[in-house]
Formats: sequence, C-alpha cells, structure tokens
Amino acid sequence: MEGNRLMNPIEQLARRQLVVVTGKGGVGKTVVSATIGRALAAAGRRTLIVEVDPRENLHQMMGTPPSGGDILEAEPRLWVQNLKPRQVLDQVVRDQLRLELLARRVLDSLIYQQFATGAPGLKELAILGHAYRLLHGLGGPGAPEIQTVILDAPATGHGVALLSAPALVTDVITNGPFSRMAGDLATLIADSERCGIVVVTQAEEMPVEEALELRTALRDRVRREPELLVVNGLYPPAPPEPPPSTGAENELVSLWRRRRKLNDRELARLKESWTGPRIELPQLPLDRGLPLLSTLGRCFAESARR
Amino acid sequence: MKGECMDLISGRNPLIIVVGSGGVGKTTLAASLGVLSAREGRDTLVMTFDPSMRLKQTLGVGEEARLREVPVALDAPGELHASLLDAKLTFDRLIERYAPDEESRRRVLENRFYQHLSGTLGGILEYMAVERLFEVAGDGRYGQVVLDTPPTRQALDFLEAPKRIIGFLDSGALRVALKPWFDEEGRLKAASRWGVLGRRAERFLDEVVGMDLLRDMAEFFQAFGPLFEGFRQRALEVEELLRSKQTLFVLVTGPGEERIPDTLFFARHLEEAGYNLGPIVVNRVHPRFLVGGETPSSQDPLHPNGWELLTWAGERDRRGLVELAKLLSREQPLVDLPLMPDEPTDLPSLEALGRQLDSRLCEWERYVSRTS
Repeated sequence: MEGNRLMNPIEQLARRQLVVVTGKGGVGKTVVSATIGRALAAAGRRTLIVEVDPRENLHQMMGTPPSGGDILEAEPRLWVQNLKPRQVLDQVVRDQLRLELLARRVLDSLIYQQFATGAPGLKELAILGHAYRLLHGLGGPGAPEIQTVILDAPATGHGVALLSAPALVTDVITNGPFSRMAGDLATLIADSERCGIVVVTQAEEMPVEEALELRTALRDRVRREPELLVVNGLYPPAPPEPPPSTGAENELVSLWRRRRKLNDRELARLKESWTGPRIELPQLPLDRGLPLLSTLGRCFAESARR
Repeated sequence: MKGECMDLISGRNPLIIVVGSGGVGKTTLAASLGVLSAREGRDTLVMTFDPSMRLKQTLGVGEEARLREVPVALDAPGELHASLLDAKLTFDRLIERYAPDEESRRRVLENRFYQHLSGTLGGILEYMAVERLFEVAGDGRYGQVVLDTPPTRQALDFLEAPKRIIGFLDSGALRVALKPWFDEEGRLKAASRWGVLGRRAERFLDEVVGMDLLRDMAEFFQAFGPLFEGFRQRALEVEELLRSKQTLFVLVTGPGEERIPDTLFFARHLEEAGYNLGPIVVNRVHPRFLVGGETPSSQDPLHPNGWELLTWAGERDRRGLVELAKLLSREQPLVDLPLMPDEPTDLPSLEALGRQLDSRLCEWERYVSRTS
C-alpha cells in the first residue's frame, strides 16, 4: 500500500503546497474546495481556502462571518479568506513604493488603473502571488503559518487562464519583481509534486465538455495533467425493477431514471478519456451548510477508498 | 387566446437578449426562442457564445459560424440562422474596418500588448459581442434577433461595455494614454517633470512592471488612436440599441434559494439601469411530486435514493420560487420551467420548450389579472 498508485487522493493532496480547484460555473467548486479543505485539516495539514468571488459563498457555507478580505479561522487548522485581486495588486504597489504619497499618486493615475484592469494575466498573477507569499511566510504580521493553500478558482473563463497566467506574464513582463514572481509561480504550477490541480464537473454534457477542454488546454499551455477529477451532483442509481404504476411515483421514477441515465452516459464519456483518479459525489437532500459538508466529506472518503 | 397574452415572439421586440448566470440554460432557451420565431414566420438569427456540442450539431453550426451567419436546417415559414460570437475575431475585424490606413492596421494587430489582450481592457472584449450584434441588427435582414450573453457570472459587464468604452474615451484616460510617454531614448517623459518623485516612480515602474510592457501598452494606445472616433460613435449607437424600449431582456436563473440574491441583483440592476426587463425565467425547476403512501427509505445519509432526493429537491425549488415571487413586484412576470428528463437539444424539443415558455407566460398573465 506504500506506492503512489494506491495512495488516497486526500493523502496525495496533503503533500501539495497549492491545490487549484477549477471547473465550469455552477458545478460546485466551492463545495468541493471546502470538502477537500476540511479533509486536509482533519489529516493534520494547516490549510487555507482562498475564494475569489465577491459573494463570499464559502463563508456562508462554513458558517464564518463575512471577512472583508481577512484570513479567518473556521475550524482547527483550517482558515478561509475571500480575496479581491485588485486589493492585492494595490498592496504590491504600496509595498514597493513605501511612501504613501507616491503610492497614492500611482494608484490614482489613470494609466495604473487601465494597467491594473487591462494588463494580461495580472489579476490572475495577483491571486497566485498572494498564495505564494502566504506559503513562504510572507503574509505579513499575524498571518497564520500555512502548509497548503486551496484556491477556489474564479468561475469566469477557463481555470486555465489562471494557471497559465504566470507563463504569460513572464512573456509580457521581462524584468522586475512581477516577472520574477511569475517565473517562480510558473515553476510551482508545473511541478506536480508541489501543485495539485483538481477539476470539478457534473456528469452533464456542458460541464463534461468543459472539463475535457480544460485538460487539453492544461496539456497545451501548462504542460501537465490535473491530479484529480471530482464528478459532483450525481443522481442516485436508479432502481432495477420497473417503476410502480401510481401516477406521481411513476413520473418521479421516470425523471430519476432519465437524469441518472444522462449521468451514466456522461460518466462513460469521461471514463473513456480520463484515466486518472476520480471521485464521484452524490446529490444530497441537504441545504448548503456544515451538515452538507460533513456528509459530503464522508462520501468523498468513501469514493476515495474505491 | 393568444391575443390577450404577452407573447414573447410577437415581433414587437426585434431584439431579445437572454441574460443570467452561467450554467442555467441560457443558450438552450435562446435557441428555442429562435426556433419558435422562425415557426411564426419571421426570419430569425440566434447569436450564441458557447453552445454545447449537441446544440451546435442541432443548429448545424461549426467553426464557420464564427465568421458569418449560418442557415439552420429547419423547415419553417421563417428562415433561421445561427452564429457564434468570437470576441477576438470581431475585434480584429473592427480594427480592419476603422484603421485609416494599412500602417495603423498593422501596428495595432502586431502589437504585443494587443495580441496578449486575453483579459478585458475595460470590458473591450465583452463590447465586441455587442458590436457584432450591431452589425447584424443594422442590416435589416432579420425580423428577429435573439442574443445569448457571455457565460460569465458578471454578465452585466457585457451590458455596460459600451458605456464603459465611452466613459473611457471621454475620461481623458485616452488623451493620457495617447500622449507620447517615452522620449527619444525610451525614457519616461513624466519622470523628469516630477523631479525626485518622478525618478523614483520611473525606477518603480521599471522594477515592478518592467518598461517593456509599458512601452507596448503606450504603443498600443497610440496605434489605436486613429480608430477611436469611429469606435466611440459606434459605442453610442450600440448603447442606444440596448436601451431601446423595443429591446427585451429575458433573465434566466436556476432554482433554489441560494440563487435568489443573484437573481434579484440582476433584475434590480437591469431595471435601475433603464433596460427593458421582460420575464424572469426560473429554469430547470424540480417538479413537486405528491407521492402517496410509503416510499422506500434508503436509511443511509450517504446514499439517498431518488424518492428522498427528488421530493426534497421539489420542495426546495418550490420554496425558492415562492421566496423569489415575494421579493419581486407583482408586475414582474415570473415563470418557471420544469427540469426535463432529457435536455432539449433537437429542433422539435427546442420548439416544445419555447412553446412551454410562451404558455407559462400566458398562465402568469391570467393569474395576475384574476387576482388583481
């Protein structure tokens, strides 16, 4: 049971410094990030989940108050943070310039503002760079010591935009600290010993399509494979016997069967071309919140044992 | 019966824009409205961003739909066409059109900053989608255009793109950006004016972002300069089209209470910004099953069975709908469409979906007039 081949996905991810959770919007990236984060923390790893979404869904789900960007401890060894890329970028400027007067002048200048919103890959770099600083103990005074950062990637665009940003930035910006940081990050992302990429999908046509495209794009642009595929929100396996003949039940079972059949078809398509480790998670009759996360954590562990 | 109902595909709204968060079925609904419109005898264009493979097959659109409108093999009184929106391609075409000469065209297209413009420069890429829309709306070939919007959560960026472009062009940022920033030796000019601070700023810029990028950006804006006036005029016209009373917005959302804040935000924003918001469609709602008698229990929280899951989901989605209805004004049309056993991807099922939406709207109107 020692070999890499048989290692549980959670044990695998617990060896990574950075875990990027990516996938199409609406497939449950945040729920999966939280589930993985709780599992890593339970396994003894000091973990921070970073969410890049102004709505702070993660905080709601974990029962932590809205943070306004602060790092909050949600559970033992587990922290959460909502990140605003622009604030991170502005902070870099302040750190570099030191003089507040000068920093203000740069931050208020139109060219900086156009630059901050327009420069290719810069926002993505700010997100990754933030994770990098925390991992290297550069999070500033009061920042907890973090062993793994889980990045719940923004839903907009492909996650590949985030993952390929460092390489892009080193191409566009040729010198200076951004360039150096981008270089370090590109190396980190390419290193599958240090960085894990988790692709979340649902067994439906569009999400599966996007997951497969994402993998191709990762191969092309980041030259690596994702570490884990999580198929979320599966309908329960349909009953083997023909449905009972009462009207309402009939409709229910028929919907159940057909939705599961669609799940099975898309699962088969995934299995055909995706040979790496895969976790399958059911749809559960629970509202968002800690009870859901706990049950999902058990489902995750069960699926990981298979 | 039809006459007294709000009729989405009546021809009163030559442009219908389908908006909403990602993954709620916008594209499918846009396609179904298109099929319906062609059935009603209007020449129709459906413009989409990112349809599923099956939907692409159904509509018969391949890569060539990025360049032109492609006819859909639908036997209907009106012709149905489909196109795919490709922001970068549209941008390239726009530059070809507005560049006053070959030299300016080449300078923009070959600029390194432009080539890497993968994110959004103040929403320029979203704007390109609207731009393409304007191209087809202007030529009068279609009695009905249905526009699907980008698969982003912040789909509102898309609507604000023309305004932001105009704002950017008017703000003086452009004049700043168009100024020759660098002198003959490639040194930042402003740096000398700012004295000590300026030299420090220059060192900072060089150290932090690298002068190369700034030079590329400055060059981009300068190369882009001659194109701006045509660009600005166009943005104003696009803005007018989006705000026209004849343009109708259909807001699509998913079921469940967790979607409500998003939906409300969207709806309020559209109305406050003065867009003509039509129906809100809650898509893929789990039906409510009134299952009589005992249903088998799985006795296992990790493996709920379909009876447990689907009755729960039906109640959850119902709660969400009721809650949403409470928070919206009575005059706001709100309809739900059930989760189908199979996703509608062929032409007959798309048409059926469109008809269902139409009849749900009718029911809503009758309900409102009965209870008021």
